[in-house]
Amino acid sequence: MRVFDLSLGQMLWSRRSVFLGILLGGPVFLAAAVRLIVEMSARGFRINGATASGSAVFGLIMWLLYIRFIIPILGVFFGTSLIADEVDDKTITYLFTRPVPRRAVLLGKYLAYVACTVLLVLPSVILVFFLIVPMGGSTIAGAFPSLVTDLGMLALGLIAYGAVFALVGTRLKRPLIVGLVFAFGWEPAVMLFPGYLKRLTVAYYLQALVNHEMPQDSAASVLLTLFHEVPSVAMSLLGLAVIVAVSLWFAGRAVENREYVLEQ
Amino acid sequence: MPIHDQGYRRYGGERAPRGQAWSVITRAGLRTMLARRTFLALLLIAWGPFLFRAVMIYAAYGAASIPQASAYFKPTAETFRGLLGPNSIEGVLIFLITIYVGSGLIANDRRANALQIYLSKPLSRTEYIFGKLAILMTFLLAVTWVPAMVLLVIQIAFSGSFAFLKDNLFLFPAITIYAFIETALMSLAMLALSSLSKSPRYVAVLYAALLFFPSAVYGVLYAVTRSSGFSWVSLRADLDQIGNVIFRLASGYETPWPVALFVIAAVIGLAAWILERQVRGVEVVA
Amino acid sequence: MIPPPIVAVVSADHLSKWYGQVIGLNDVSVVVPPGVTGLLGPNGAGKSTFMKLITGQLKPSKGAINVLGEPIWQNPALYFRIGFCPEQDAFYERMTGLEWVTALMRLNGVSDTDAAAKARRAIETVDLVDAADKKIGAYSKGMRQRIKMAQALAHEPELLILDEPLGGMDPIARRKTIRMIKDLGRAGRSVIVSSHILHEIESMTANILLINQGRIVAEGNVHQIRDLIDEHPHTVYIKADQTRALAREFLSQDDVLSLKFEDDAVVVQTAKPDAFYARLTDLAASGELGGIHEVTSPDDNLQAVFQYLVKS
Repeated sequence: MRVFDLSLGQMLWSRRSVFLGILLGGPVFLAAAVRLIVEMSARGFRINGATASGSAVFGLIMWLLYIRFIIPILGVFFGTSLIADEVDDKTITYLFTRPVPRRAVLLGKYLAYVACTVLLVLPSVILVFFLIVPMGGSTIAGAFPSLVTDLGMLALGLIAYGAVFALVGTRLKRPLIVGLVFAFGWEPAVMLFPGYLKRLTVAYYLQALVNHEMPQDSAASVLLTLFHEVPSVAMSLLGLAVIVAVSLWFAGRAVENREYVLEQ
Repeated sequence: MPIHDQGYRRYGGERAPRGQAWSVITRAGLRTMLARRTFLALLLIAWGPFLFRAVMIYAAYGAASIPQASAYFKPTAETFRGLLGPNSIEGVLIFLITIYVGSGLIANDRRANALQIYLSKPLSRTEYIFGKLAILMTFLLAVTWVPAMVLLVIQIAFSGSFAFLKDNLFLFPAITIYAFIETALMSLAMLALSSLSKSPRYVAVLYAALLFFPSAVYGVLYAVTRSSGFSWVSLRADLDQIGNVIFRLASGYETPWPVALFVIAAVIGLAAWILERQVRGVEVVA
Repeated sequence: MIPPPIVAVVSADHLSKWYGQVIGLNDVSVVVPPGVTGLLGPNGAGKSTFMKLITGQLKPSKGAINVLGEPIWQNPALYFRIGFCPEQDAFYERMTGLEWVTALMRLNGVSDTDAAAKARRAIETVDLVDAADKKIGAYSKGMRQRIKMAQALAHEPELLILDEPLGGMDPIARRKTIRMIKDLGRAGRSVIVSSHILHEIESMTANILLINQGRIVAEGNVHQIRDLIDEHPHTVYIKADQTRALAREFLSQDDVLSLKFEDDAVVVQTAKPDAFYARLTDLAASGELGGIHEVTSPDDNLQAVFQYLVKS
């Protein structure tokens, strides 16, 4: 917990918070802009030319911004940096020469990442919800249960991606590039393949928990919709839990056994 | 045996004229990157699309007896356009190379407090920035401009005539201009971000966000409004549009192309401004 | 249960560490006794490797290393008893000195109030009270060094491991730190100090560990080490009224290997310093060859031992 406190403070009150602010303020700004455009045009929301409710537009934003971009990129960024940043800054020595198991240091930092990102992402989603949903026939009360599910799903996404990239960060020399290729290359590609390969992704389990329709914004999305294999909610939760547990366990093992030779 | 003076002696050899110090930085940076096997592998993979297109061109002229195949594989301006990204597999490889080479260019110097040492030499800030820029641009041009030009030569070699070239003479300047615009934009943007932080990792994520987040935003706007008039929001869309215009292809976007060009120029200008502010010998901590 | 008395604070048994093809430490077997011990060696000697092994940052490639009687690798509980001041200049720059030391104290399992109090005490010890509430990013080199010392001392460890602790400090701060280290030794704490600055190590302790090319070259009291180096002649500087007469007298003795004249002095090299000093004392007492004003041994110090052992 002490490592959690120390790391949370470092994460929240650093220059990187500016990046987080822009990343999470962007969707809010976009939602405000979209609402303004729609109100000025007086046509109402349309998706692919067809009239759409505010909930549908909210679902579109969830897919295109949060699920496909913001959640994975936050996972890649913070997950791969958990220990690597301390090594680069050469402050890892202070943490690893304290009477705290290395595994606990990693876990404390991981929990700080979860707390920091959840604290920042969820309010952004809530703001977008309140900006977009009331238009086009949807009501906040009616869509609220869906919002709660979405918030839970996003939190799970942050937890799962963070764990996977924490493992990548502790094991590999260039974790960021591998992380980006995994999140934006491997996952979208493998989701199109038939068979069991897609079960080696976080997206397979996470996307099953999304209760909004996937947007048809590219050929890949159309293919994905056609061949979409959706596991049950229980299976998805179990899959994500296994991914988190296994990733964190192996990451902890890596940190305990690895020698961190700092450049002089 | 002659007795040699062991004491200090002034250097009496030739000195390069002033203003060439940037090339020292560039040469060192190129050597460092080329010594890494992983990076060499990445460069090699980045030439994969070129190989694929070269095989296509070979099939077009080698399978002349199969008219359908010949017509299908026949090169067009799009063949060369596609080699230059940004919305293709080449775009992904260019992105990875930019991150691999560029994220630490200035960030690592800032981390090591090396800027003070650099700028205490007879090296101006402009030369320092130019030297670093040249490293990244060299590698990016090596995977964009060079393969596109080589592909043109291959087309001539396989077709056995200059007919295609005569009909598409504009391809030479088009490839050059577009490759330079693309690499200049990406290099300057990456260098500016690299000057903002001491962590190459953070720089890489900022760059990924700069490229992909606006594209995601544009995706939402397009889906909602069904208009590509907001494409100026996305740098990748702007580059794509400019590329289409340069290669005399259909624009594909409702945004007027001068707007796209203006956005690119604005980003380049902003990057230059950031570099001017950030590349300093001292950092004041309040 | 009363723990058994510690015989050695660090014991290495056939300890080796290599990085790929490069050997950092080569079959080192050494016992570091309680008290203040200076760890010396030129750059690339293996000092840093040894420091990292005894602080549990590296795992031995071969052999074993015990600190305070227990293996250190993957033994975080031992860090309750060890304080480490690393060489690298790395901090959480945005924190104040007090916040930083307090945060690290909390990692030692101390409550928030106690952590703050202990941190303050440690900061007072290193004379940094005035800057305690300033951001570390604004500290000078010397202040950064001192706040590093503070975090190592704050939890009152039994064993303090200091890697180049005096780097960047001004002369007054150096003197204070040296005095503090000596006080810690007198108070029963053990300190292992690594440094290049030989005369400062000498002022802290006579007990040294000399490393060169990955091997322990010498260990123990610096004067005893000097005595053991029999093959290396002792140099004695004698300032006297009648240097030539003295020189004639010395030349008649078998153990005198060489001599030369410097101003009003004669510099003698002898293979048997004890016998030489005994005769010199008799000569000085009898006064038969004039007055003898000064007798010093330029190489009975750490610098000479270091140079001889490292460069031979």
